[in-house]
Amino acid sequence: MAAVAAAAAVSSPLPPSTSPSSTTATTSTTTKTTTTASSPPAAAAAAMSSKSSWIALGCEGSANKLGIGLIRHTPTSTTILSNLRHTFISPPGTGFLPKDTALHHRTEFVALARRALAEAGVRPADVDCICFTQGPGMGAPLTSVAIGARTLALLWDRPLVGVNHCVGHIEMGREVTGADNPVVLYVSGGNSQVIAYAERRYRIFGETLDIAVGNCLDRFARVLSISNDPAPGYNIEQLAKKGTRLLDLPYVVKGMDCSFSGILASAEALAAQLLQLGPGPEGAGFTVEDLCFSLQETIFAMLVEITERAMAHVGSSQVLIVGGVGCNERLQEMIASMAKERGGSVFAMDERFCIDNGIMIAHAGLLAYRTGFRTPLEESVCTQRFRTDDVYVNWRD
Amino acid sequence: MTATAAEAAAPHDFPLPKILTNPASTPPTLITQGAEGRLYKTTYLLPDIPCALKYRPPKPWRHPVLDQRLTKHRILSEARILSKCRRDGLRVPDVYALDEAAGWLMLEWVQGTPVRVNINQRLGSRTEGIEDDEELKDLMRRIGAAVGKMHSIGVIHGDLTTSNMMLKPPAQQQQTTDGATGLEGEIVIIDLGLASGGVHDEDRAVDLYVLERAFGSTHPRAECIFGEVLDAYRQSYKQAGVTLKKLEDVRMRGRKRSMLG
Amino acid sequence: MAVEIVQLEHVPSSYRIHLALFRNVKNAGFLHQQLLARNADFEYAFIDASTIVSRVHLLSAVFKAVNSSVNGTLRTPNVHSEIVVSLSSSSNIADAYRRFGVSPSTSDLFVVKVTFPSSATPEPPSADSISQHLTDNVEGDAVPATDETIRTITDVRTVRKSYKLNGLAWLDAIKDELLKRQEIERLILGGMALRGV
Repeated sequence: MAAVAAAAAVSSPLPPSTSPSSTTATTSTTTKTTTTASSPPAAAAAAMSSKSSWIALGCEGSANKLGIGLIRHTPTSTTILSNLRHTFISPPGTGFLPKDTALHHRTEFVALARRALAEAGVRPADVDCICFTQGPGMGAPLTSVAIGARTLALLWDRPLVGVNHCVGHIEMGREVTGADNPVVLYVSGGNSQVIAYAERRYRIFGETLDIAVGNCLDRFARVLSISNDPAPGYNIEQLAKKGTRLLDLPYVVKGMDCSFSGILASAEALAAQLLQLGPGPEGAGFTVEDLCFSLQETIFAMLVEITERAMAHVGSSQVLIVGGVGCNERLQEMIASMAKERGGSVFAMDERFCIDNGIMIAHAGLLAYRTGFRTPLEESVCTQRFRTDDVYVNWRD
Repeated sequence: MTATAAEAAAPHDFPLPKILTNPASTPPTLITQGAEGRLYKTTYLLPDIPCALKYRPPKPWRHPVLDQRLTKHRILSEARILSKCRRDGLRVPDVYALDEAAGWLMLEWVQGTPVRVNINQRLGSRTEGIEDDEELKDLMRRIGAAVGKMHSIGVIHGDLTTSNMMLKPPAQQQQTTDGATGLEGEIVIIDLGLASGGVHDEDRAVDLYVLERAFGSTHPRAECIFGEVLDAYRQSYKQAGVTLKKLEDVRMRGRKRSMLG
Repeated sequence: MAVEIVQLEHVPSSYRIHLALFRNVKNAGFLHQQLLARNADFEYAFIDASTIVSRVHLLSAVFKAVNSSVNGTLRTPNVHSEIVVSLSSSSNIADAYRRFGVSPSTSDLFVVKVTFPSSATPEPPSADSISQHLTDNVEGDAVPATDETIRTITDVRTVRKSYKLNGLAWLDAIKDELLKRQEIERLILGGMALRGV
């Protein structure tokens, strides 16, 4: 696990091409890292002083990935016991609808949970808490997974811990990369935020004013019927590598915030032109590859800009990239170049942790659990809107 | 390009923009290194005309075509807004020269200190009697009037803080003469790098909200007299009342919206 | 007469700027004609001095033109025509020549000569030879180009029209003439920098 903590260009091998409903096992049962998270406050620590090892099961399902994983913390180490993912992949030209995605998660939950336990070699009695994504995300899939988590909690008589999805990404990123106090660029299908920690909260310095960057890429892919397997963003990235011509697209940054809806509309219009006229000098004069290239160059430049502004603002030279879009090598390369010029470095994640997964929920949940945090059953309702800065982070100084 | 401790700690010695490698009577001084670019103090035309040079260096991670497009656009946009403000009678730095392809903008060097410094000097370690400090309250009213004037001509600053306003002391006055409070002078709004044209109450209200928040965190002890800023703002143009009403909404919800996952 | 050599900040040392001001010019028509005929012996910026409000105003145009020359981004045939065009706040070149350049009716004249070594003239003309050539060809009284003198020459009404500075109530409200002129100069600099872009 420590191997992924490389700076600058981090390779992010994508899973081998998967069939439209596949399980991706990314488990590593033996690796250990020294935990970088600070110790829990004295009171909470004293209350649990007899314990020297904790195990959490994490359930993630805020979008089209169902992820279940188990993690073990000791005072000095963090061990991933299992980390399984099952992705709902919709046909090209379509997005994943809440109803279908929720059905997928409900259908797969039990089997995935059984496999996660088996792979971890853990009995239900060994598990200290059941962590689940309480938001933000799509309502129906979130609720399906929450029902699964509540069922396990009642069945095994273990406490629930509701976790903010974004905080899960951030904590996993810090754990895996060893980045101590970075500015976090969190970019995924549902979120685009620049975050920095201050006074017990992950504060949002900049964010999208409309749609998320991943949503922009996904919807663009649909217009050109680019495959959703393994992910639309991955396929756009491969096409972009062959693009050469930069087309003019709107570039909208306001301070530390940015907007992607205008770019999407322009890219969609160009895509329609391309479909009608065809590429080549007689047609539209550009190719699908050029369009993917232009889209990436423009929106990633925007992300780098707001990240740089936040770094200058808080005086940090470290950046951590998390979220599904963070797998993109071109984005990683651009951020790395910017960070280097500022005398710092970038920490990027590989696809096991960039893409939504259960282990990050287990990890962030267990950090909170160890400080005494619990989510009573009657308060375990999911919320589609759950801001990163709503979470009180009492496991950090 | 507000100076902060973080920005001052530049990791490298940056190469000068080409224009500053030409001979001059005094060597240029790097004042700040922000995310936007760098600010140098240098001279315009003659040794006795100090000027500020804002330089936006190329960003090697950006596609060169996009980089040029953005740099040109931003240099021109800031210069246009400054020029518009000046024509409409708002005191902002004069535009001396620019080269949008080379990425620099030369502006008047505004004498004086950022208002932040004047306020903090005045406050010192005082904790009492601040709400009765008439000279300080008068400064607040000049700030409100300047911001109101800016909004009345359809300009939104985008980054209003007490660091982005200069207090230019009166030309003849010696700072040390009897009765001088260090608070006299003209407010000059600076750093319009994020400014835009805007006529919506919402934009103006957010601009004020940003100032209010920045003021509160920079001068917590003087927060009790921030009302003077808004009172003077209210008097400064016709629709100011509507903007202030909107400000209440903006305060209620905060800058940040609730978000969908 | 003596031609003044002006040292500008941030101009490459190979560039030399010569400046002269003539009053009561009698042969403006002849000088104008030399420009129209593209007479290579008359490579000067001839500027109608009534359009200039201060030294800084004129030198700003020189600085802009030299910068364009250095960068190879001249919009006109040479650095001298570029100086005239740089005075304008619009991008219309013909209009700039007409407003700021010498005309047969010009009586007060600024002459600017910029020299630098080039492949055509590795050894640019000396200040003395420039001075001599001007003495021989400009029929007028050479005077020092001070701001005091310039103030007596400026046609403020025309200047304000050229730079679209009419109808600015706050400007009209300034009673102190020196202060008002200073504000006008400042507005002109901004207009020139943006040159209608």
